[in-house]
Amino acid sequence: MANLPIEAQGVRKVYRSRFGGRNVNALDGIDLRVEPGEVFGLLGPNGAGKTTTVKILLGLTRPTSGSVRLFGMPVSDPESRRRVGYLPEGHRFPGYLTARQTLMIFGKMSGVDGATLSRRAPQLLERVRLSDWADVRVKKFSKGMTQRLGLASALIHDPDVLLLDEPTDGVDPVGRREIRDLLQEEAARGKAILLNSHLLSEIERMCGRVAVLRSGRVVAEGSIESLTASGSRYRLVASGVDERLMAAFRETGASIERINGHFDLTARDVDHLNALVDRLRSGGAKLQELSPARSSLEDVFVGLVTDVEGAPAAPPKENVS
Amino acid sequence: MKAFTASVQEVFREAAARWTLIAYFALSSLFILIFALAVNLDIVDGALAGAKLFGQAVEIGDHAVDIDKIVLGFESGFSGFLYLVGTFLALFATAHLVPRLQEKGTIDLYLSRPVGRLPLLLSRYTGGLLLAAANLVYLIGTMWTIVVWKTHVLHPRFLLAGLVILFTIAALLAFAFLVGVVTSSTGVSLMATYAVFFFAAVLSQHNRIAAAVSSELSARIVHGLYWILPKTAELGQATVALVAGGAAPAPIANIDHLAVYGSTAVFAVASLSVASWLFSRKDF
Repeated sequence: MANLPIEAQGVRKVYRSRFGGRNVNALDGIDLRVEPGEVFGLLGPNGAGKTTTVKILLGLTRPTSGSVRLFGMPVSDPESRRRVGYLPEGHRFPGYLTARQTLMIFGKMSGVDGATLSRRAPQLLERVRLSDWADVRVKKFSKGMTQRLGLASALIHDPDVLLLDEPTDGVDPVGRREIRDLLQEEAARGKAILLNSHLLSEIERMCGRVAVLRSGRVVAEGSIESLTASGSRYRLVASGVDERLMAAFRETGASIERINGHFDLTARDVDHLNALVDRLRSGGAKLQELSPARSSLEDVFVGLVTDVEGAPAAPPKENVS
Repeated sequence: MKAFTASVQEVFREAAARWTLIAYFALSSLFILIFALAVNLDIVDGALAGAKLFGQAVEIGDHAVDIDKIVLGFESGFSGFLYLVGTFLALFATAHLVPRLQEKGTIDLYLSRPVGRLPLLLSRYTGGLLLAAANLVYLIGTMWTIVVWKTHVLHPRFLLAGLVILFTIAALLAFAFLVGVVTSSTGVSLMATYAVFFFAAVLSQHNRIAAAVSSELSARIVHGLYWILPKTAELGQATVALVAGGAAPAPIANIDHLAVYGSTAVFAVASLSVASWLFSRKDF
C-alpha cells in the first residue's frame, strides 16, 4: 500500500506546566488520514487543538505520544517536509524582502535550484495576482496580499501536500474565490490539502472530508454530506398538497410539516418514501423537488463543540504527576 | 547545503535591510576616520622626528626615535582597544539573530522547510561570525593601511589581532545564542553576554579574589567560575601579545595560551552545543 500523504495515529500532546500548575492535554489521541487529491478540513473552536495538530505534522511541536508520518516518513525527519507546503496563521515574512526575493529565499530553503526558482517565482506571483508587486517590499503589503504571498511561498517548491492555516484570512471575497479555485486546481493535480479554518462556509465549499476537534479529540469525521445529512428527513416541494393528503401521509407513519413554502417530510425508509410519492401523485399533487434535508455545517459544528450548557468546551486538564 | 547558504545570505540581507550592517560599518569608519585625522607623524630617514596627536605636538626629545618600535608599540596597544570595540560592536550587531528567528510567525516559515534545526541554528551562527569577520577585516585592514601609509612601516602581525578578536566573538556569540534560544530576547542575550564578558574579566584576578574570600567553598567557586567562563581579560592580553611578538611586556607575554584558548573554546563549544540541543527540542 502506498504511503499516505498525511497519517497520524493516536497522537497525544500534553503541555506541561513549569511551575507546578496543571498540565493541559492539547491533543488526546487523534487519528488522521489524508489521501492524495483530497481536501481535508480541520474544524474546531479556539483551543481545540487544530494548530497543535498542524504544528505536530510539521515537526514544529513534538507529540507526547503517537505516530505521525508524511508520505511514510516520520515528521522528526526534516526530509519529510520536502514535499510539504505550509501557510502558517499570522505568518511574518521579513518585511525588507520583496515578494520575488521571498519566494527565492524560501524556495532555496526548500532545496529548489536557482534556475527553477527564476522560472516558477513569476508564474506563482501571476497566479496569486501579485505580479505588479513582485519587486515591492513585503512591509508595504496589505493583509490580503501577504496572505496571497504566503500561499505562493507554500507552493514555490511544487509540494504534494499543502497544510494551510486560515488561508483566506484577511482576503477580500474576490480573492477568497481565487484562492479557492487555486486550491481546487492543486487538489485536481493530486495534491493532498489539509485546511484549518474557522470559516465554515469555506470548508463547506472546498473540503470533501472534515474532522471536528473538540478538547483535543476528534468528535466527528466524515464527508460534508454525511455530517450534514439528517437521516430520513426530506425537503419536498410540491403543488396541490392539501390537509387531506397530509393526513393520509401521517396515517402511514410519516410526519409532514409545511415550512416556508416547502414541506419537511420524514419517512421510515426509501420504500416508505416511494410509497408516499406514489400517494402524492395519485392524489393529484405535482412533485417539483424532493431532496434529503440537510443541516448546515454551522449547525452541526455548533452542536458538536458546545457542551450541555451551551458553552464552548474547555481543554481537559490533568494534575501534575 | 542550498538551505544553509540561503540562511547565511539571509543574515547579511537582514543586517543590510535593518541598518545593522550600515551602522556597524559606519561606527568602524568613525574610528578609522578619527585615527587617520588624529595621528600625524614626521619621519626623517626612517626615524620619527616629530609627531602630533589631535593637533598637539608630542614631545619626543632631542634624539631620533626608531619608527619601527613606535609603530609596533602603537599597534600592539591599539589592538587591545580594538579587541574591546570589535567584540562589543559584533555582539551588538548579531545578538538578535536567534530571538528574531524564534518570533511567532517567523520560525514556522523556516522550520516548515526541509531544513534540520541544527543546520538552521548553525547557519545563523555562521552568518553572524562572517558578518563580524567582514567588519574586522575592514576595521583592522584599514587601520593597518593607514599606518603603512603614514609611516611606511609594514608590520603584518597587527592583522593577526583580528583572529583573536574573532575567536572571542565566536565564544561570546555562542553564549548569546544559548541565552537567545532560552529567552527569545535580544536585550537579555546582550545583557547576559556583556555581563559574562565583564565578570570573566574580573575573574582573571581569581587568585586574589579567592585569597580574600572567607571560606574554602567560596574560593573553590571563584576558581571554578574562572575556569568555566571565557578568559576575556587574558584574550585581550593575548591580542596585544600576538601583535607585539617578542616585544610584549613580560606579564602579557607570559600568559598560558593553551589554557586561555582551550578553556574559552570549551566554553564556546559547550554553549553552542546546549543551545543546539535546546533549540532542537523546543516546541514552537
